[in-house]
Amino acid sequence: MADYIKFVDVTKCDGCRACMVACKNWNDLPTVTEEYSGSYQSHEKVNAHTWNVITYNEHTTANGGFEWLFRHQSCLHCVEAACEKACPEDAISHTKFGSVVIDHDKCVGCGYCTTNCTFDVVELATYKDKNGKEYRKAQKCTLCTDRLEQGLQPACVVACHTDCLVYDEKETVLAEAEKRLAKIKERFPNANIYNPQGIKGTTTVYLLADKPSVYGLPENPKVPLSQVVWKDYAQPLGKAMFGATTMAVVGAVIANAMKKDKGGHEEGGRDHE
Amino acid sequence: MSKKNGRMVKRFNKGFIISHWVNALAFFVLYISALPMYTEFFDWLYPVFGGPAGARLVHRIAAVCFMLPLPIMIFFDLKGFINWMKNIFSWKKHDLKFFPEFAKEFFGRKANVPKQDFFNAGEKANSWLMIITTIMLIGSGLIMWFPQKFSQTVVMWAYPIHNIGLGLAAAVVVGHIYMSVALAKPSLQGIFKGEVSEEYAKDHHGRWYEELKQEEKKKKHA
Repeated sequence: MADYIKFVDVTKCDGCRACMVACKNWNDLPTVTEEYSGSYQSHEKVNAHTWNVITYNEHTTANGGFEWLFRHQSCLHCVEAACEKACPEDAISHTKFGSVVIDHDKCVGCGYCTTNCTFDVVELATYKDKNGKEYRKAQKCTLCTDRLEQGLQPACVVACHTDCLVYDEKETVLAEAEKRLAKIKERFPNANIYNPQGIKGTTTVYLLADKPSVYGLPENPKVPLSQVVWKDYAQPLGKAMFGATTMAVVGAVIANAMKKDKGGHEEGGRDHE
Repeated sequence: MSKKNGRMVKRFNKGFIISHWVNALAFFVLYISALPMYTEFFDWLYPVFGGPAGARLVHRIAAVCFMLPLPIMIFFDLKGFINWMKNIFSWKKHDLKFFPEFAKEFFGRKANVPKQDFFNAGEKANSWLMIITTIMLIGSGLIMWFPQKFSQTVVMWAYPIHNIGLGLAAAVVVGHIYMSVALAKPSLQGIFKGEVSEEYAKDHHGRWYEELKQEEKKKKHA
């Protein structure tokens, strides 16, 4: 199977929010009402029940004009996903579609993924069980993995009426992205293709009209050092050290027992002097 | 153990003992309630706490208890606390010589351990490791408890620090318990009842014992 990716050409977005509605619809997500913040933007950012949001950036052009910079904000499905690495329960994994999904049977709602996410996308949702007891689960866009499994496209892509959102073979998409970039360079000199290689690329590739930071995206995200220290060194070393101490104790018990066998006659095993 | 005579000497005050056991109990509860998150192997512990949310609650209650030993010690046994601090800051020849000799003894070989202070060099090292890991665990734990008050970088570093603190502390605890239960059983009476046999004091803490004797003499002469 060829690799498929989602392509977001923000220069084609007209801010209609059909992708947001389609997402809520397909994934059966409840309404999240937020206070009016003085912007046309519906929500401050994605949240546990709103898996994509169109951000409305008010932007001044080079000659002092005004224009909207829209961006379909959602999980990017990183190839090296910080949330997956941070999860202590192995609840987050990559599917064969390259999408990063959360197994809600395994998720314990610790929130490690939410603080580690490179793009501040994962959020905790609070639910109530039959007895009224609260529990939490991490939630985010699944790239409609359930639809992909049925040979369908993600709900947001289907809903998009300007072809800003495309789900297609990786090679086709990246070639198209280059073509579009050449075309828009004149109007948007800072335009670029956002597919950060510091995390080995993402399964959602953007064509941005301006620098990533203008859209609130990190310029050059990397696997954080804190995670390398934590997961590649501290955790295995800690487990090893605990094992080593236990082994030393076991070794000491055996060595002392053997000594006693050989002709130790003192009771109580007090060994000083 | 008390072949010669049953004479006991005072080692710890109540405040010190309570502080020790609050610390031990809190650590144990913290350890057990976090274990299913540390390794998958202990996932069966979740139901014991009524699910992950229950484990989280227990962990946080125990976390507050884990911060109490220092104030308890300072309020109820300032003398003992000062003595402990003085001890762990004093490192002399007999302390350094302790370790190679102790290693021999630990694995059942003949050893000549030099006379030790109120706290022997091993206990001093244990104290330091415990202080350092406790600071690491409480500091990073508070950051993880209130992540919204700190920047993302700080919160992200709290995880590895909590993790390293736990690995070190757990290793120290295993050694500490083994040594008291298996190697120096009479010391247990010290941390439960506050008294140890004179013989134990002489054998394990020779320098402290000599100090005690000298004080006694002074008192007699006075």
